[in-house]
Amino acid sequence: MILVALVITLFGFIVSVLSLGMASAIFVRLAMVIAGIALSFVGIGMLTAAYGKNAVWRK
Amino acid sequence: MMKSYWLCVTLAFASFAWGQTPASTATSPPAAAPAPVAITDSDLKSVETPKAEARAKGDPDGSLTGTAADVAVADSKKGMTIGDLVNQVGQNKIAINFVWTLIAGFLVMFMQAGFAIVETGLCRAKNANHTMMMNFTVYGVGMLSYYLIGFAIQMGGVGAVANLGSMPVLNSEFAITLFAKPFGIFGQNGFFLMHSGAYDVAVMVVFLFQMVFMDTALTIVTGTAAERWKFSAFILTSFFMGAFTYPIFANWAWGGGWLANLGANFGLGHGYADFAGSGVVHAVGGLSALGMGILIGPRLGKYDRKGNPNAIPGHDIVLVLTGCFILAFGWFGFNPGSTLGASGNGNLRIGSIAVNTMLAGMAGGFGAMLYMWIRYGKPDASMSGNGLLAGLVAITAPSGFVNPVCSVIIGVIAGVLVCLAVEFFDKVMKVDDPVGAISVHGVNGLWGVISVGLFADGRSNYGGSWNGVNGSVTGLFYGDPGQLVAQLMGVSALVGFVFTLNFVFGLLVEFMVGQRVPAKDELEGLDLPEMGALGYPEFELKTRAVGV
Repeated sequence: MILVALVITLFGFIVSVLSLGMASAIFVRLAMVIAGIALSFVGIGMLTAAYGKNAVWRK
Repeated sequence: MMKSYWLCVTLAFASFAWGQTPASTATSPPAAAPAPVAITDSDLKSVETPKAEARAKGDPDGSLTGTAADVAVADSKKGMTIGDLVNQVGQNKIAINFVWTLIAGFLVMFMQAGFAIVETGLCRAKNANHTMMMNFTVYGVGMLSYYLIGFAIQMGGVGAVANLGSMPVLNSEFAITLFAKPFGIFGQNGFFLMHSGAYDVAVMVVFLFQMVFMDTALTIVTGTAAERWKFSAFILTSFFMGAFTYPIFANWAWGGGWLANLGANFGLGHGYADFAGSGVVHAVGGLSALGMGILIGPRLGKYDRKGNPNAIPGHDIVLVLTGCFILAFGWFGFNPGSTLGASGNGNLRIGSIAVNTMLAGMAGGFGAMLYMWIRYGKPDASMSGNGLLAGLVAITAPSGFVNPVCSVIIGVIAGVLVCLAVEFFDKVMKVDDPVGAISVHGVNGLWGVISVGLFADGRSNYGGSWNGVNGSVTGLFYGDPGQLVAQLMGVSALVGFVFTLNFVFGLLVEFMVGQRVPAKDELEGLDLPEMGALGYPEFELKTRAVGV
């Protein structure tokens, strides 16, 4: 789960970079970069959830 | 008696009226300006210098000190020439810029003291020694790693810096080719400040200034992980951040890397523009802190068994607010100093930058204070301090590109944003952040980066171009949507790459030495188990019901 979350977080960044080569229209690039940022935030959320399952206050 | 009274009144009005009388506006046609005459070396011979007898009497009013006699001449037999004069002008310009940048760097260095006492004040007394020692040690650890590795990675390919007399020695950038364009990844010159001609006066100035910025980013993490971070793990993590995490992103943004060239290579505005480091310094520190907060987990007693958060108040609000003032003072080095000069290339904008900085800090403090007052009925002191810092963090990137009204808007939004973010991380994400560093530096660092893409007004001009693109940085609201895309690309790099890189190293340190202290040590307080001495040995520390 932690590994998957980290891969998704990094993949969001890659989506943003790919927008530079895949699109030339400014609003398409904008949409892809925002999608990439959102994907990274999803990954961070998953990472938090993964660590939260074993959090010290649950024990 | 009455007569003298009226006399006084009449005289008073008369003098007032005289004082208000406008100066004579009668104008005569201006005399024709004399035709310019070229100065020759022989003209310089006739410039009078103070006589030795006059100089021997001292110079109480300063009129005899700093004259033509102080201009260095290359050949004393020929006397002063135009060449000597021009060289002196050039040296004066660079000297002004050196002194400006160095003094700004000294101010930023003093921010370490501000961070130290803000964080210590927001922690419990039983961890005072440990928290102070982390803030003290990060200065040395960060500097060592940056000196050995980080500076070369960040600035080794930056090329010339015109304000500091150019530095042709830092000219080697490792780049890959992507989409038929060069993507600068890291610099390769300047290791140990000796490699490839880096033993250079201008390189030293850049090193000092960039080093204290890097240390600011590192010290942000100590706040989030305070009260439970193993000291050895803290040292390893800080070394890695100073050597790699910070310098890599700083290279992309400031060292000639791919983010800075998004404008020149892909037509996105002026490329990623981060004037003084909302992203490079604060978001890097804040997102690294977020990763550490997730990895290390909350403090014992922070959440009950249902996951509801408990407030764990700090032990000294006096330290907290004093530290905020020290940080606000240091920020005058942070932002105006980032011009790397006061003379030439549009650098007189330092006045605007300084005013933008103080306005945004004020607006952030007010924004947070009013938000807390309206929502909770009291103007919370620590959140007011965090609001001030949030405003300062947010204005750091746009300070060189926006006008005063936009600075206030950016600051107010930052002040409210920091309160919302603290609640979000505390209650929703359940990431324990004793000092609110993730919200202040991470969230508002990202907000600062985005605000450049929105509010940059296109009126700044630092030598006619920025990041190799002619003209001024201009945001969406002033007509350039491409700049916003460049800024968001920087946000994506911060959230997707910087966060992941530092988290993976955090996992490595967890595997090597463990990140968190044993529960017994945490309950006792880290001063004795980790540092061997109490922060306040003569105080009797009482355990609070919640604070454990």
